[in-house]
Amino acid sequence: MHRFKKILNTIKYSYHYLWACYYFSDYKPQPITIRGIINWLNQFDEKDRKIILALLHKVTYYSEKETESIIVDLNEQLLERLEKADIPLKKVIYVQIHDPGSSSPVMLSIVRDRGRIERKGCYFIDSKNVREILETTTKLEQGAIIYVDDFAASGDQFAEAREFLAQHIIGNFSEFFLLPVICEEAHSKLSRLGVEPITRTIHSKADRPLHPHSSLLDKASKDRLIDICRQIDKRGGLGYKELATMVVFYRNSPNSLPVILRGCVKQNPWRGILPRTTDLP
Amino acid sequence: MSPNAQANQSPKNVASAVAAVVPQGTLQRLKVSDIKPNPNNPRMLFDRLPLNDLKENIRQHGVLVPITVYEVKGQKKYAILDGERRYRCCLELEDEGLKLTIPANIVDPPDKIAGILYMFSIHNFREQWELMPTALSLQIVMKELGDEDTSRLSKITGLSEPQIDRCKLLLEFPQKYQDMSLEPDRATRIPSNFWTEAYPVLNLAEETLPTIAKKIGRDGITDKLVEKYRAKRIKSVIHFRRIIEAYDVTSEDKKEQKRVVDRLAEYITNVDLETRQAFDEFVVDNRRIQGSINACKDFVSLLKRSKLEHALEKDELIVALKRVKEYVEKLLQKLEGSDEPAIDKKNK
Repeated sequence: MHRFKKILNTIKYSYHYLWACYYFSDYKPQPITIRGIINWLNQFDEKDRKIILALLHKVTYYSEKETESIIVDLNEQLLERLEKADIPLKKVIYVQIHDPGSSSPVMLSIVRDRGRIERKGCYFIDSKNVREILETTTKLEQGAIIYVDDFAASGDQFAEAREFLAQHIIGNFSEFFLLPVICEEAHSKLSRLGVEPITRTIHSKADRPLHPHSSLLDKASKDRLIDICRQIDKRGGLGYKELATMVVFYRNSPNSLPVILRGCVKQNPWRGILPRTTDLP
Repeated sequence: MSPNAQANQSPKNVASAVAAVVPQGTLQRLKVSDIKPNPNNPRMLFDRLPLNDLKENIRQHGVLVPITVYEVKGQKKYAILDGERRYRCCLELEDEGLKLTIPANIVDPPDKIAGILYMFSIHNFREQWELMPTALSLQIVMKELGDEDTSRLSKITGLSEPQIDRCKLLLEFPQKYQDMSLEPDRATRIPSNFWTEAYPVLNLAEETLPTIAKKIGRDGITDKLVEKYRAKRIKSVIHFRRIIEAYDVTSEDKKEQKRVVDRLAEYITNVDLETRQAFDEFVVDNRRIQGSINACKDFVSLLKRSKLEHALEKDELIVALKRVKEYVEKLLQKLEGSDEPAIDKKNK
């Protein structure tokens, strides 16, 4: 009887399994397989599985191809704009804002390699390299600084790195943050800093089913999902600062993604369907 | 010679550089969103209480005194040169639903030197500002102006003369050490005063320990001190002063000074040897003696000032002075005969 029920469930949800395998097909931290999805879903009560799958369908996923295409396009548009404003490429400084291996250096290398901008005389600097920032901005006197990453949720991490670096900028420099997606919280924060986000999508609170400002799901489903998140992780269930973002990139999931989807640290006791690289066992 | 005349003697006219930040522009009313806070200006610079007063004033009367801004090329925004507090108040008032425009004097962007000088003026107000970034900026100023005179640089930058000297000293260290003080992470950053305090120790080591200096070089000795600091065997960088003090106070006694030098060699080679543990024995005794000498002087001086020779109620005073005399005589006897027995004890 139990075996029969399992087979029935597999058939019932087969569309979702196939969809997820296709939609998240190039997710790097962990391959998305039918077996993996079944194991993930089986952790939850049967009555909750439907709404959990509904939540999964609300994830906006950026594949490698799409991410690259967006960041390269945005960069080209920005460089055109700067050229019109009389800022040549030789006066442009690209800044990676996090450690090697994180998203920012990867995005920057895509921009550099695909855009072939290194040969055009742009500068590439790590945000931690105060000396280089000071020396380069002093040498150029004016131009543009472009910070690069894939996503900003609260904008806290960026603001901290940029504040340290900005104190050593000498001269007249416009500042841009080039990234495919930004949350509205980060967008507002950056604008206040005087850094202009150059982005394709502003991820609004309304686009996040588990956010209080969203009505994408009916109240009962939303409450139940929030309850599950809190059961898994009382404080961090809805992600960093309870932002409950629903954007995932091929390289990794942000820590602002609800825990149902990303799982616990070391994927123990709860496995996620879209685990973060640093949370893998 | 007046300070200005002195400044004007430098190869490039520094006065003109400073003058470049003086506003000379057009007046416009700007929306808050058109304005970009100055990136050099850290947020913690403003005290909350006076800011609240200013905010209430602006709420009632609007911004009366124009801020000074320059256009940021390529961004359609204006960066603030003067008026950051007014801007921040307006930002908060906008959050509370009040729509404001700010009168702004739009000037030309500051040139390189004016930009650095502006940065200095901000850094001077900032608490816990690391000196190394300031030193690097000062290096640019010295290079651009072709002037290294401490007094003139102090007048131009607003940094004090000792600050300028410390910056120059930092610039003497090789780049790899300078970079250790530019780390964004406080946990791994070597504080700038580590170098200024270590500097005389490195000089002493080079001078008195030629074998070690030849073997590992000045950088090698520096590396050892850094390693010791990272291993938390230097509890405070000002403890480096004890090494110099130990060397100085033993200058009259060559044998003892040799011990200090030997200890310095051990201190450099043995990472685990803590600074105070290594050098306190040479300096603590000296401090005690110096303190006692001062106490003797103070005691005599106080008695002299009290004019006790003609005091009428003197019995109690006489008893007290006799007790002092008795104590001093005993102490003198001990001090006069103390050296040999102490050495004998050691030899046993």
